[in-house]
Amino acid sequence: MRLGMVIDLDKCIGCRTCTVACKSHNAQPPGTWWNRVFTPGSSHHQTAIGEGEHLQMSFLPVSCQMCDNAPCQKVCPVGATYTDERGVVLVNYDRCIGCRYCIAACPYNVRQFNWEDPRKAKERVGYKEDYDYGYPTDVRDKQGQLVYTPNRPQGVVEKCTFCFQYTSKGEDPACVRSCPSKARIFGDLDDPDSEVSRLIRDRQAFRLKEELGTKPKVYYLPASKPNR
Amino acid sequence: MKKDKFRLTRRQFLNATAAAGVLIGTSGAVGFAKSAAAEGEDTAPNLKTVRTTCSPNCTGACGLNAIVEDNEIKAIEQAADYPESEYNPRGCLKGLSMMNLVYGPDRLKTPLIQKGKPGSDELQPSTWDEALDFTAKRLKEIAEKYGPESIGVAFQVGGTGYVQKGAVSRLATLAGWNIHHAYDQNGDLPMFWPMTFGVQSEELEPREWLNSRYIAIFGSNIMATRLPDAHFLVEARNRGAKIVVFDPNFSPTAAKADEWVPLNVSSDGAVALGISKVIVDEKLYDEAFIKTFTDLPLLIRTDNGKRIKAEEVQDLSKPADVPAYRESYVAYNGQFIAIHPEKLDLPLDITLESEVEVPLKSGEKVKAKPAFLLLKESLEKYTPEEVEKESGVKKDTLVRIAHEMAATKPLHIVYGASNYQWYHGDLKGRALALINVLTGNLGQSGSGISTYAGQYRIRLKVAEWWVPEGRKQNWLPFLYMLNGPTKTMKAKYPKNGIKALIFGWGNPFDQHNMSNILRSKVESGELELVVTMDFQMTTSCKYSHVVLPAVTWYEKTDLVATPVHPYLQLQQPAITPVYEGKPELWIMRELAKRLNPEFEKYFYPGLDADQAAEEAIKLMLSTGGPTVEGITLEQLKKGPVRLKSEVPGNRQIPFYEQVQYKKPFPPVSLPVKLEQTAQFVKSGRIEFYKDEDIFLQAGEALPVHKPPFEESEYALNPQAREKYTFSYITRNAIYRVHSTHSNNIWMNELQESKPHVWLNPEDASEKGIQDGDEVEIYNDRGTVTAFAIVDPGAGRKVAVFEEGWWNRYLKGASYNSLTYPFIKPTHEVYFVPGMWAPNTAWNECLCDVRKVSDDR
Repeated sequence: MRLGMVIDLDKCIGCRTCTVACKSHNAQPPGTWWNRVFTPGSSHHQTAIGEGEHLQMSFLPVSCQMCDNAPCQKVCPVGATYTDERGVVLVNYDRCIGCRYCIAACPYNVRQFNWEDPRKAKERVGYKEDYDYGYPTDVRDKQGQLVYTPNRPQGVVEKCTFCFQYTSKGEDPACVRSCPSKARIFGDLDDPDSEVSRLIRDRQAFRLKEELGTKPKVYYLPASKPNR
Repeated sequence: MKKDKFRLTRRQFLNATAAAGVLIGTSGAVGFAKSAAAEGEDTAPNLKTVRTTCSPNCTGACGLNAIVEDNEIKAIEQAADYPESEYNPRGCLKGLSMMNLVYGPDRLKTPLIQKGKPGSDELQPSTWDEALDFTAKRLKEIAEKYGPESIGVAFQVGGTGYVQKGAVSRLATLAGWNIHHAYDQNGDLPMFWPMTFGVQSEELEPREWLNSRYIAIFGSNIMATRLPDAHFLVEARNRGAKIVVFDPNFSPTAAKADEWVPLNVSSDGAVALGISKVIVDEKLYDEAFIKTFTDLPLLIRTDNGKRIKAEEVQDLSKPADVPAYRESYVAYNGQFIAIHPEKLDLPLDITLESEVEVPLKSGEKVKAKPAFLLLKESLEKYTPEEVEKESGVKKDTLVRIAHEMAATKPLHIVYGASNYQWYHGDLKGRALALINVLTGNLGQSGSGISTYAGQYRIRLKVAEWWVPEGRKQNWLPFLYMLNGPTKTMKAKYPKNGIKALIFGWGNPFDQHNMSNILRSKVESGELELVVTMDFQMTTSCKYSHVVLPAVTWYEKTDLVATPVHPYLQLQQPAITPVYEGKPELWIMRELAKRLNPEFEKYFYPGLDADQAAEEAIKLMLSTGGPTVEGITLEQLKKGPVRLKSEVPGNRQIPFYEQVQYKKPFPPVSLPVKLEQTAQFVKSGRIEFYKDEDIFLQAGEALPVHKPPFEESEYALNPQAREKYTFSYITRNAIYRVHSTHSNNIWMNELQESKPHVWLNPEDASEKGIQDGDEVEIYNDRGTVTAFAIVDPGAGRKVAVFEEGWWNRYLKGASYNSLTYPFIKPTHEVYFVPGMWAPNTAWNECLCDVRKVSDDR
């Protein structure tokens, strides 16, 4: 099994609901976003590029690309970043030493660092005392490595886990479930009959920065019509 | 729907839980609240799922699940439990981040009383008894001194909470207070609806978009303002419908469309009339349709512009069974015909284009023309060349689109609020509706015209709960409170004006039209008492004498049904109230018994707030009429239930009964009685010709194009023509529902916590403004500060600001202090609250922009 995701840019309306679902389910502290949606070419979301009447606007969600050939994993000096048996790139929070080589190595700029104790960050912005949002318990993989904890230790790196807490139970990740446009499809890339495999075959799927040889397991489907 | 093969465990899991169903308050729903531990988890979290309905002032009404652990919301997910899978999952970034408000820093903890000056001094925490006693005492004093009608009540739109908002209506009715209807207060009432169709508003349900073949969108940004339904537009396009967006700005919706047609601001009326002219001149109209369903065959006197009544004509009489609120008019097919206003059965050989001489009973002979002929003459000036001059839409484009619209069925027109919230928004709507009606695109699947703004519509009969014992209610449009009374007003202005204001679900001292004027009324003491119910410390709380902490939709019980969404749903408490907040029904009951011990019995004394709310729901379901017939509270607790309609499959297709079964216009607009709205279209037909004196005086008997500002800004101040050349457009952002979520931590992170203004590159360059510059948008009435986004998609001479920002993000200013409460006389021809009433024209506003560092 090799888990992957297809994001249909024809359906994506740039609403950022996936961004928020990801943030809440994965208890990302203030300032941290594992999953972001951009308007390519524009410095402002939902703002056009071009000139006169020749304008364009499209949207691009970006989170961890779950590379088969993951640069972040190669540079980790302590083996904290690893790929599990389903092809999911994860960070073992117990092992991460906070050197941030992985942040520098990631060509997609999706890794985030806990500069501050998340509890303090939440207190600072003013949530009710001791209020924690997000999946409330620790999650470990089969080997017992800590891949999710609601309040990450200060000084560790974090990123998308394909919602390990759900996908390890056969559920879809939060971003997939929450997309009001059903633009995200999740499944097994090794299974030729899966919807992800079918879409990749039928719809001219592409991957981000393919030329780097990172071999992401997140695929994008181009818009069926030009977003003029 | 199973999307892939890998989720075997999911299927097993679903099988295991299928028997139990996804019930409220049970652990074991899919996703987050699944009870089994994830791999290697030490202990499974003890989570429960509560299904409720997201209910800010939004038409979405999305069914959401709160995931709760130890009485604390951990996450919010879409319930995705609508029987039609196309509606799943329904919910957006705001709804899913509501924890930021429930547990956020601005949550009100206790009641507050202002012991000093509102707006400047700090509010003091108090007990509930203290706050309620104080409020009741002051209300009694004010009612005694100025009359109870000097107390104004605003509870915003009914659709998002029939129980709690109904409780406010209930007490206001008992106490004789004046109610400000939110639909006109918010400027959401598109006046072309009552003028043309005799209804409050109507709209096609979004699933029907899939059945359209041509969707023309005039100034609606569906991709940002209708997030749960936006996907239907993309799907409709991919199924072959053509999507054309008319908008001065290149919006996300324009980006997804087949064609974007930029036009000058508020010139849509000219475009619609230009299209209509092509359709009429080339005889592309559906003649049988207009003869059967419209007033276009009616004879109009050429001397005075009045419709000829059957009873005036020699040898004709008004049929005996015509109700008092209707009128019998006259058509001609070689002989004069008295038209029965409740029968859409005119012979198809009636004339549309001949002038005739009509013998009256008085012996006089008068010349008359069918309304169609007058329309045709009136359309003469909307030549493609003239329309291009007025709108900037190229003449070839106009003619091509007219041909496409006439040839493609079903045609659906979406007329956005940003476009109709102008002084002549009514005229633009009447002109756009003309396209649909001329081509017979109405009352059928995938066809019609829709406006999609506001939760105005009451979808069941609510009188038993809202209006105790059918007592008389007092209503006053909010604009009169700002503007003062007018000579032509039909609503009754209280003799002492409004001296006290009680409101909930709103932030008028920050967000409303001329909120700065509202603030000064408190500061000067003209408003002697302001009572706010809210769950957060808004700007309006700071201008209040008493703040009563309410609760969010995760902490109370209510019934929800908004216009766009055809389901009846519950709000159910997921947690007990955080801090000391209470549901509004409880607050009203406590106030009621303090005002008059007789009132308490109307609010289910002895029951807790949620039990009382359930009783109110049962009452409304059992007396709610055909739309909720057979629906029970128990059913609703299991999930959403589709409202009943006359359309097969209970689909929501406006005027289906009129067009398919030839029932007279209008269909009923709840909660008022048919006679109240039927008087708007006395002919029982779709009316494009209005012969009330005010329409005739205004030159608006027929839909015409009038450019913006002439009768508003320039009439108010002729110098504005040179001084203020930018249109100030306040559109909706994806990050807020009006002002709700303005202080949402996550939403602000997504937009750098900065209000922005979008400017065209040429305009910005002329003003020496660069991307990122701090800019003032200003006129004689106010100034708002925002950061410039130089946007090649922004139209010329527009300053686009995203509405909803609280004043704390705007250096203390309200962005609506630039607007003005214009009242258009045609909006005063009748008065039915929220149905025919003067309403706010937010975008009829001129301004200039300058870089903050510029010298002043």
